[in-house]
Amino acid sequence: MTELLGFPPALLYGQVLIGLINGLFYAMMSMGVAIIFGMLRIGNFVHGAQYMLGAFGAWFLASLPQLFPGLGLPELGYWWALILVPPAVAVVGAITEQLFIRRVYDLEHAYGLLLTVGLAFVIEGLFNVKFGAAGQQYGVPEALRGGVNLGFMLLPIYRVWVIFAALAVCIGTWAVIERTRLGAYLRAATENPDLVRAFGINVPRMLMLTYAFGVGLAGLTGVMAAPIYQVSPQMGQSIIITIFAVVVIGGMGSIAGAIVAGIGLGIIEGLTKVFWPEASSTIIFICMALVLILRPQGLFGKETSAHSGADITIARRESILENGRIWIPVLAVIGVILPYVVYPVFAMKILCFALFACAYNLVFGYVGLLAFGHAAFFGASAYGAAHIASVWGWPPELAILGGTLLATAIGALFGWLAIRRQGLYFAMITLALAQIVVFYAVQAGWTHGEDGIQSVPRGVLFGVFDLNDTMTMYFFVLAVFLLGFAFIYRLLRSPFGQVLKAIRDNDQRAVSLGYSTERFKLIAFTLSAMLAGVAGGMKAIVFQIASLADLHFMTSADALLMTLIGGVGTILGPVVGAAIVVTLQREFAEFGAWVIVVQGAAFVLCVLFLRQGVVGTLESWLGRRADRMREAAATGAADVTPGE
Amino acid sequence: MTDQAVLEVSDLRAWYGEGQALHGMDFTVRRGEVVSLLGRNGAGKSTTLRAMMGLMRRATGQIRLRGADILGRKPEYIGAQGLAWCPEERGIFTSLTVAENLRLPPVVAKSGLTEEELLALFPNLAERWRSSGGKLSGGEQQMLAIARILRTGADILLLDEPTEGLAPVIVQQIAEVIRTIKARGLTVVLVEQNYRFAARLADRHYVVEHGRVIDCMDRAELAADGSRVEHYLKA
Repeated sequence: MTELLGFPPALLYGQVLIGLINGLFYAMMSMGVAIIFGMLRIGNFVHGAQYMLGAFGAWFLASLPQLFPGLGLPELGYWWALILVPPAVAVVGAITEQLFIRRVYDLEHAYGLLLTVGLAFVIEGLFNVKFGAAGQQYGVPEALRGGVNLGFMLLPIYRVWVIFAALAVCIGTWAVIERTRLGAYLRAATENPDLVRAFGINVPRMLMLTYAFGVGLAGLTGVMAAPIYQVSPQMGQSIIITIFAVVVIGGMGSIAGAIVAGIGLGIIEGLTKVFWPEASSTIIFICMALVLILRPQGLFGKETSAHSGADITIARRESILENGRIWIPVLAVIGVILPYVVYPVFAMKILCFALFACAYNLVFGYVGLLAFGHAAFFGASAYGAAHIASVWGWPPELAILGGTLLATAIGALFGWLAIRRQGLYFAMITLALAQIVVFYAVQAGWTHGEDGIQSVPRGVLFGVFDLNDTMTMYFFVLAVFLLGFAFIYRLLRSPFGQVLKAIRDNDQRAVSLGYSTERFKLIAFTLSAMLAGVAGGMKAIVFQIASLADLHFMTSADALLMTLIGGVGTILGPVVGAAIVVTLQREFAEFGAWVIVVQGAAFVLCVLFLRQGVVGTLESWLGRRADRMREAAATGAADVTPGE
Repeated sequence: MTDQAVLEVSDLRAWYGEGQALHGMDFTVRRGEVVSLLGRNGAGKSTTLRAMMGLMRRATGQIRLRGADILGRKPEYIGAQGLAWCPEERGIFTSLTVAENLRLPPVVAKSGLTEEELLALFPNLAERWRSSGGKLSGGEQQMLAIARILRTGADILLLDEPTEGLAPVIVQQIAEVIRTIKARGLTVVLVEQNYRFAARLADRHYVVEHGRVIDCMDRAELAADGSRVEHYLKA
């Protein structure tokens, strides 16, 4: 037999083997993420960066003589790295847990994710500053060079070693968690940490060690990956979103699920390279969507309690800062003055992102859903509008409308899939779904890959207003922004908005009152996608470009950061946050790679110290002051009351 | 009485966030006694036990365990001192088997019951030895929760509503178990809404309301005049 299903068997077997090896790396990484999620309820986004630390650690040990020429240090090879690096990375993990992670255990899961996203940006950003984006080479160790001829392919011995070593690590870890007393403590502490502590077990220390262990696994995976993949600061970022999808497929918190899903998906990915190469980069995300439809809790997952975002939002409804009747005119006045104070193009950027952040706040702040893939809607609309304006030659209003429709449709589809899960799952799922759009845009013809769609004509609005005039363009953007802002404000004050708040505050109770919470969430999510689409389409017309950056996960993170800095669940927060973040990005642009470090640090600081955001903090302060004044007035009144 | 106090709680106050749940609890438990805390839902009985285990983030006052103040100590320290807590929701770990659940709490003193003794006392558990904790009935869960802390050798047991939601025949069994525990010289703090159950077992009773002890009576007093407690407990 020379062909199998129409393909040469050598190709097939080869891809299965490569898939198996990739799958084992997925399995080791997912296992760490699953352990950390299972025990600590932290969605460890920084896992990718910790994996990168492992790989760099190995490279660092091997390069000691070159890095410190004067010290006469020896070159420590692969085996040294295997012994030294994972514990070192684990220690870094333990310190991270002590300094940062433990501060968010008691908070809504969203904050854990945001904190680790911030830490990942800081670590990866710092390595980028130091080593640049280019990869470093790491040699295969002497003892494992050469290959085995399997007849259909030459399999490098190093990969044989990886297969056995990784399998051993997976099985060993599974056995420790599922079959030992220590594992029983861990599983028990997941369910009821207070009780386990009351039994005399030091749960906080156990959590620290668990985190360190999970991180150590990432470090070990990094060392093992170093001879196969390029050692680069981005190596973790490209794998972490896939890992999140694997964990969702396997069932959050399930060790066996992580292992089986990791290996299985690696092989499926390998086979896809043979049968349907265009889809190979998205197949894992497509599998995730299918699993969500058929078995939302994941292959090995148990149905866990829902975690709503009840404690995220802090807006004081009665606060003067929440009164749209005051603030819509105020924003209009500021908007009219703004282009005379700063560059109009810069002002337009703020307005586009402010609308984007407001749209995002609708789901995160008001429905309590931690969406993490809003770039998909923003970017899809940008591409749609850019294509309509430049290829079809339609006027800008129709281009933006077309882009918005595209974003709305994608939003409805993603929402329909993601709404099945809540809390952290929702974040991981939306993140993974958004990744499908990114890969599509990389490969599709009409999106022009890395170049994006450039030189988009601004055109003539309604056949009257020539948008090539910057001020005309600006006032159009301002008008759209104000309309979008007013729309969200009205929506939240409507009966629909009241039901959304009820769902956010107590999902179960809203259900018991007879509301189909899923339908309300889906409508809110779709509206949010639509508004993100308006912002994205407008951005494409203003800046005359739609590019992969619009779809990139960083853009989703921007929306989140803006909302967080400004104040989650406040009407003005996203606008203030957008102004702050866009300004910071411009100020730090000249420092190049440092931007991402600063952005990561902003995430970390916001999560630790400014969870209410600027507007939220202000509202609290005003609220407390009002309370004090009321109290003072009451006591004052009591003092002068005669008698008694 | 000459028996020394093993637990002295005085002016215990505790908060959930901004809301104050305990407003100065005072009570004493002597060695080998069964003492009940009676009160309605939300009176602060369970919170008192949580505070005694060091699980309330904000608490003031004094909790003296064999003379030493343990307020502000970490739960893992308190647990290792021989204070064992059996929470209201029983706290059986569903992802662990019955055997794993039973063996989970570390032994703190040699005086604990052996597995054989426990299985003799709770024959149901032997039948369910390998099944998951989540598959047990309410009564079996309660048995396991008590068995689990008897194994550790802890000598002061805090039992939070052990009869809640259980069939009368199971309640009867639990009463027997508590008598056995007492006969072995262990000290029990029993939180109950069901005062008839407590009346059969406890040496002394404290009535709790709004986070304070508002009345105190011994077994004879309660037996003589049940209406005194009924008055407090009626909704």
